Amino acid sequence: MNSQNQTNGQKPLLEGQNVSKYFGGLAALNGVDFALYRGEIAGLIGPNGSGKTTLFDCLSRVQDISEGHVFFKGVEITRKKPYQVAHMGLARTFQVIRVYRKLTVLENMLLSRQWRGESLFNQLRPSHPDTEERASQLIEFLLLDQLIDEHAGNLSGGQQRLLELGMALMPDPDLILLDEATSGINPTLIETIKDRIRQLNREQGKTFLLVEHNIQFIADMCTRVFVLNYGEKLAEGTPDEIVKNDAVIEAYFGA
Amino acid sequence: MATLTLTWQRLHLGRWGLLFVVLLLVAVPLPQFFAPERNLVTDSLLFSLTQMFILITLASNWNLTGGLTGYVDFGHAVFFGVGAYGTGILMGQPGWEPWPEALTLWSFWPAMLVGGIVAAVFAVLLGSATLRLKGPYFSIAMLGTFVAMRELVRVVRPLTGGGLGMTLPPYLNRPLFYYLTLTLAGLVVALMWWIRRTEFGSTLIAIREDEVGAEMRGINTTLHKITAFWIAAFLSGLVGGIWAYQNAYIDPDVVFLPNRTVDMVMMTMLGGLGTVAGPVIGAATIYWLRDVVWSNLLLFHQIAEGILLIIIVLGAPEGIMGVLGDRSATSLPRLWRKWFPSTSSESEQPA
Repeated sequence: MNSQNQTNGQKPLLEGQNVSKYFGGLAALNGVDFALYRGEIAGLIGPNGSGKTTLFDCLSRVQDISEGHVFFKGVEITRKKPYQVAHMGLARTFQVIRVYRKLTVLENMLLSRQWRGESLFNQLRPSHPDTEERASQLIEFLLLDQLIDEHAGNLSGGQQRLLELGMALMPDPDLILLDEATSGINPTLIETIKDRIRQLNREQGKTFLLVEHNIQFIADMCTRVFVLNYGEKLAEGTPDEIVKNDAVIEAYFGA
Repeated sequence: MATLTLTWQRLHLGRWGLLFVVLLLVAVPLPQFFAPERNLVTDSLLFSLTQMFILITLASNWNLTGGLTGYVDFGHAVFFGVGAYGTGILMGQPGWEPWPEALTLWSFWPAMLVGGIVAAVFAVLLGSATLRLKGPYFSIAMLGTFVAMRELVRVVRPLTGGGLGMTLPPYLNRPLFYYLTLTLAGLVVALMWWIRRTEFGSTLIAIREDEVGAEMRGINTTLHKITAFWIAAFLSGLVGGIWAYQNAYIDPDVVFLPNRTVDMVMMTMLGGLGTVAGPVIGAATIYWLRDVVWSNLLLFHQIAEGILLIIIVLGAPEGIMGVLGDRSATSLPRLWRKWFPSTSSESEQPA
């Protein structure tokens, strides 16, 4: 379905032009161009230190972009603040799990709601029943309902990953960036995550960009894959094309 | 949110117990009105309780930024000072030409209010700069602000009287100050309890737990931090104004007392960082403990306080509330079980 989108000349949901990020003299990202289209599940792979997480950080505006431009829904977000990008419908998870450890699972979810256009005065009350309703639905969807009142810090790594996914879904975003959503998770739970991502993509048209080291996961899920190496885009194509690409094989296994 | 266990319930105090304590506190000065000649309640007792209420209020204010939001402020007393001097200058008559006459010889109430507002405005300006810093950098920046403000007050002699200080119209009405500080302490504690229940309070905790994550999930963290900061500053400014009027004399060294911030930190930590009841319990405990220790061990009271602080940090990092709380496991009950294994069967807490 995604290749059709591109040929239809549909505007990209997320577009990066010449995105670069320098840490002193080190170019973590060097002129990366890419485009993501609405409704696709795309993958981002590359050896360790190739700049995948840095790219995520730049897109979600956790880090400043040194050069280049990023557009989300046709609006330039290169200089926007992280919360503004979140309000526009971009959500992400983190490679190092970020949950509010001393708050309960439910509170974690409630605090990840859509804050767009909210004044502080609206927050001078307990959470809205609709928000609680959505939170408990998502908690059930992610099989965390037994743990709803547990402190997030007491959850296992895999459960925290699921919670993080739930927190990313709470504001009903259009695009979700998942940073190593399956690392440290047992195979059964990985199947659950796969199933949930497909369901969200199929039924609600959510767009996903996945950073993964698990190539099998990428091959199963994605229709398009980008490969980064030393901060530059090495290749782009379907999973089949990518695993046969000589440059990619060289980058992963060395010459 | 049902899951936010009410701290008063955790204290096993209950609603009636709380009401009883409040009524008792309201009733304390009454004999002064009905039978002053019997002298049942001494001015010194009222004064002591007033000081305790002031400390409770200050510790609760500090807890809003230091405990809930996680920005450990080593200079919060600067807002107390700004409030005190704001009130003092408005009530006094600084002999300084450019100072407009309309801003002198005010009565206490508007002066106190404006003192608080000045502290709040100062907090917004200051916070926009310092709240960008994280962890120890923020703490040190606030400590620096505190010292700088003290020296500034010393230098601006025409307005503040410099090192000589300034006198306020003396007004010796112990019951008034008692009720004023009791009301303010009650309102502040109620406000903290309410904030803790609202989404606003939860977002502050989210910022404490993970600021980057909170920002990425759509929370305008800067706005929330500054709001918490100025609310705390406003309330501490009011306390400063009351304190200045009650003391009838202010100078840089008594107002900008470094120990005042240390007190707020210590009391909140003893009671329980980030809890509503924690600063109340901590402030009351330390105030009376200090009273007893000071009167009995004059030379050693600071040593005793230092030892207490070490015991808090090592033995009960979550404070009294943490020890009382059944959910958060603190080390004190565990230490107890380790040292006295014979009692472990009774003291074992249900999981």
